[in-house]
Amino acid sequence: MKARGWLLLLLAALLALPWLLPGYALEVAIQALILALFATAFNFVFAETGLLSFGHAAFFGGGAYTTALLMQRAGWPYLLTLPAAVLAAALLALAIGFFSVRTSRIYFTMLTLAFAQLVWAVVHKWYDFTGGDNGITGLHPGALWGDARALYYLALVLFALGLTFVWRLHHAPFGYALRAIRDNPARAEAVGLSPFGYLLAAFTLSGALAGAAGFLQVAWQRSAFPDFLYWTKSAEAIIAAILGGAQALFGPALGSVVFVELGAFVQSRTEYWPLVLGLVLLALVLFLPQGLAGLGGGRARG
Amino acid sequence: MLEVSHVSKSFFGFAALSGVSLRVAPGSFHALVGPNGAGKTTLFNVIVGRYRPDAGEVVLAGRRITGLPTARVVRLGLGISFQRAQAFLSMSVLENVVLAVLAQQGRTHDGVRELAGYEDARAAARELLGWVGLAAAADAPTASLPLGDLKRVDIAMALAGRPQMLLLDEPLAGLSRAERREMVRFIEELLRGLGLTLLFTEHDTEAVLRLADRVTVLHQGQVLSEGTPDAIKRDARVVEAFLGE
Repeated sequence: MKARGWLLLLLAALLALPWLLPGYALEVAIQALILALFATAFNFVFAETGLLSFGHAAFFGGGAYTTALLMQRAGWPYLLTLPAAVLAAALLALAIGFFSVRTSRIYFTMLTLAFAQLVWAVVHKWYDFTGGDNGITGLHPGALWGDARALYYLALVLFALGLTFVWRLHHAPFGYALRAIRDNPARAEAVGLSPFGYLLAAFTLSGALAGAAGFLQVAWQRSAFPDFLYWTKSAEAIIAAILGGAQALFGPALGSVVFVELGAFVQSRTEYWPLVLGLVLLALVLFLPQGLAGLGGGRARG
Repeated sequence: MLEVSHVSKSFFGFAALSGVSLRVAPGSFHALVGPNGAGKTTLFNVIVGRYRPDAGEVVLAGRRITGLPTARVVRLGLGISFQRAQAFLSMSVLENVVLAVLAQQGRTHDGVRELAGYEDARAAARELLGWVGLAAAADAPTASLPLGDLKRVDIAMALAGRPQMLLLDEPLAGLSRAERREMVRFIEELLRGLGLTLLFTEHDTEAVLRLADRVTVLHQGQVLSEGTPDAIKRDARVVEAFLGE
């Protein structure tokens, strides 16, 4: 009951935030929510299957470019591109996952990285279609979604949906099957679970969620850039998940808020943000391997 | 129940199995013995579909299972328990067995309903845990169990699909003498009671003689001898092979 009380308080605070924050701070808060959705998507695969994807930028960027291209070339209204962005990211994840989830550990990580960089290279060079390194700019998400408060609430709703989705999967037989495969693949097969299908499904669902985050990013920046697909974008999700605590449901979201807010704060004062980030990560790994969620003793999920 | 015919398997030119045939009669306890490197593990892995044999067939209850993936073989009625007791250590004892039950029934695709809400599977899992004498430990974290109990969880999971036949790979490995005696009695009572067919490997000769109805002796990838435990004990070739190890 106590946990539920805190949750309601947190929800009320999140709902009130746009009316309390000045314009710039609200922009930062939206960015934090987008990263929170992205990191939660990444962490679903990482926490449940133990596979560390270094290629989730491909799904984030895939969703973003689907939205941007549909708006620019086909004149679709912003919100209608959401299902398309999610679907495109899911299909991309299905294709990359098909070749990657058979491998394990470091090979999976390197393969997802390689595939994502391949997608980045195509988008980066294909000037006729994607605008190359100029990106797609000057997009107008319409009067409603051009408003920061509306976009904040849209991001909040998508994040909440994503988190609920991950939470449900975790407690359902599907989540248990994934963790069984993670804990002990040989035993999992010997109770009748074929790992490949489960891992591919998990990877695809995770990619779909990352695509939704990319969709939000387009409205926030009113543009899409190849940077969305670059490996550093994948690293942001990984850092946020580790910062907040990969084993906790809220961990990646917590890490995202800290990452974005701390980044904005430090960058407004010095140019040494990467140095500060490095020191923070070092301290965490050494003294708090469970991430910030470990501070509350929050090892358990949901 | 299980018929292995003329199975051969080589690794990089080394013949791990050459022309091995084996027949396990329904309801019998059949032991597979032999010195290290005789091919027992390879044969196990061929039966459970981890290795595809170079030649030969494996037939389970009249159905050809040669080269089928493990997950399929298991769902066709073959329970498997490995040498190293294995469980899903992030879960409780009950969750391990509930998951095994659901997996056998093909109900693990569900991503919505909570596992904890599957009353029928939980009841089935509790019954299985009762069979292996672990009803009281249902809510314990698997990671906290002693090895003997872990083996029992493993056997409960192997029985989750109510198989006709069970494969036990060295069920006594790693146990103390007292635990061994207890485990032999447990296997005998439980599996005879359920009328299951059993194929097992074991290094403990005493246990083999006590449990098995038939014994197949493997040596250098070939069947050296087959018969009742008493006949095997007197077989000069077997004695020579074991002493000559």
